[in-house]
Amino acid sequence: MSTTLNPCKHLSDYKLRYGVKGFSLIQKWVKSGPYGKTKTQMERSKSEIPRCSFCCGYEGRLYMCLICSSMSCSLSSESNHALLHTQTQIGHEIGVDLQRSELYCFSCADQVYDPDFDRAVMCEQILGLGNGNLDGIRSNGKRKRLGFEVGLNSDFKNLKRVGGGGGGGGGGEWDHGRRISKSCFPVGLRGLNNLGNTCFMNSVLQALLHAPPFRNYFLSGRHNRDSCRKTAADRLCLSCDIDIVFSAVFSGDRAPYSPAQFLYSWWRLSENLACYEQQDAHEFFMSVLDRIHEKEGKTRNTNKDNGDCHCVAHRAFSGLLRSDVTCTTCGFTSTTYDPCVDISLDFNTTVDHFAANKAQKSTETGVSTLTSCLDLFTRPEKLGSDQKLYCQNCQGRHESVKQMSIRRLPLVLCLHVKRFEHSLARKASRKIDRHLQFPFSLDMTPYVSSSIVRKRFGNRIFAFEGDESEISTNFEVFAVITHSGMLESGHYMTYLRLNEQWYKCDDAWITEVDDEVVRASQIYLAFYVQKPNGHKAGEDVGCHLRSSVSSDSFVSIAGCC
Amino acid sequence: MSAPDENNKSSHTQLASHFFSELLDSVIMDVASESHRIARLGLDRNLDDEEEELRLSAQARARLADPSNSEANSKYVVDIFGQTHPPVASEIFDCMNCGRSIVAGRFAPHLEKCMGKGRKARVKATRSSTAAAQNR
Repeated sequence: MSTTLNPCKHLSDYKLRYGVKGFSLIQKWVKSGPYGKTKTQMERSKSEIPRCSFCCGYEGRLYMCLICSSMSCSLSSESNHALLHTQTQIGHEIGVDLQRSELYCFSCADQVYDPDFDRAVMCEQILGLGNGNLDGIRSNGKRKRLGFEVGLNSDFKNLKRVGGGGGGGGGGEWDHGRRISKSCFPVGLRGLNNLGNTCFMNSVLQALLHAPPFRNYFLSGRHNRDSCRKTAADRLCLSCDIDIVFSAVFSGDRAPYSPAQFLYSWWRLSENLACYEQQDAHEFFMSVLDRIHEKEGKTRNTNKDNGDCHCVAHRAFSGLLRSDVTCTTCGFTSTTYDPCVDISLDFNTTVDHFAANKAQKSTETGVSTLTSCLDLFTRPEKLGSDQKLYCQNCQGRHESVKQMSIRRLPLVLCLHVKRFEHSLARKASRKIDRHLQFPFSLDMTPYVSSSIVRKRFGNRIFAFEGDESEISTNFEVFAVITHSGMLESGHYMTYLRLNEQWYKCDDAWITEVDDEVVRASQIYLAFYVQKPNGHKAGEDVGCHLRSSVSSDSFVSIAGCC
Repeated sequence: MSAPDENNKSSHTQLASHFFSELLDSVIMDVASESHRIARLGLDRNLDDEEEELRLSAQARARLADPSNSEANSKYVVDIFGQTHPPVASEIFDCMNCGRSIVAGRFAPHLEKCMGKGRKARVKATRSSTAAAQNR
């Protein structure tokens, strides 16, 4: 949690005098519902319901005094026995809203928060989750290889509170850019010739050429073409050809480059996609990463899993997604992890309520935003009644709720907007032309697993696994790929952001454009790079070239200070 | 004189109404409590930034839709390096498959036939990730 919580004077006094023992009183009254939900239910014994000590009523809000445990109700401003209690018993200022398990200070007349109290509530909730044999809970065998503890207690740090970590230095791939004057064009800016419907390839290449970890890897000569060719029995290596493209594009020559060799290599490696027709840029992007991994992965890892792969494609783009499936009957949650190199987002047709309020014209149906698509991606989704899953805890087939979240963010986040709808039923495809608003600075905090799990448990102050992650959750856009036109005959372009200036890369044509042009464009793929903590928004995505080994492959740059 | 039925109905209605109010109050309080916690613990999103982004986006779209804005939709004259480029890329280089000189803008269709790929070429090849066998 980012804010430091300052308790009110009355709460501090209470804790000083009575300690935290009083908080455990709540545990007698708390019962967890399914899903490990935020709402807790009262049930001391089946026959007894709590009643107000003043009027014996059970309606309205019921508060329990933390000092003397007496119950009192609050019905309205005229009938507030809870307040009456604090007035008759001096010093009994803190009560607990029994239905919500929240602390209330009657002197401040406000809901107040305390980590020890939340911990007491959490303990009760955790123990109440799924009444099966806790020892019998095991993860799916396959997933364990990723080294994550899956199971009931993995989310809660063994019920011990860990001192807040906060983000560390992280992000070694972020370069502190030198302020390059605007009159001088950035390195690596070069048009790419269209070789015949190859704008899908050009647009993705432009984005890859400027993805910081990817760019740094190749520019510092970490892929050695000479030694690579010798060891490769099949003599095919897409990374070598990418390296050639990097050298050409960063050479200082500004005449458009023809990535013919690259196209040839890619076709040789991707049989099923090799034909002269417009391809999907996203598919191409995935295909390139696959080819790099296949080649490099073998030489660098023994792991078959993509999770901890050290090939440049995965080091730059690979993240980890978490999927939670909760049985609606017993509340047991089964968690699995899957690596990913991008996130495909469906359009959220629910209108963003801010936009709706500010809609200028009455005809405007509201604006779709990238963040609302991410909200949709991480929203709990009730699986259909035809998709009943077997629950290992209560051992039956029940309806379940699924929720996605991001366990580990990649260094470079590629967000794919699903604009192309393929309907199997109608055997037709269509493009969704709807505009999608996207931010230049993106905070991924609400979508990471620790936030999602925390939210599921009512946002209690508690240490959740992943809280102290080293990776910053702040991202900055550096490239967007747009698609304009129809499904079959459209055109891809890339907008690149270098030194806070946007450039439009339309095959051979590189032009400068304003922020506005980019904001108004129809994005299909958006590339964000992680910003380490301490960086302010808008700072340079610098192009600081490391002076390192094998400078031979890298010719001195012309035309840039 | 009102029939017993009518009295019952009105007290039933009152009771139903009463329960409904209770439930409604409880739900409202739930939402208020959750939102209060989110706000107080700093877990809410920066709404100001979000609104600003939306405003900028709307402004940008309006500007671009403006017909008097010629800059946005104009054809290219020169790029930032002062160069012009023809609609079909005119650079000429040798095909790495057959060795012939090919115009860049027509390289892809040439390569497709040259490599015997594509729908118009021969029968679908089986997928293989290291396509060493393909070349001559």
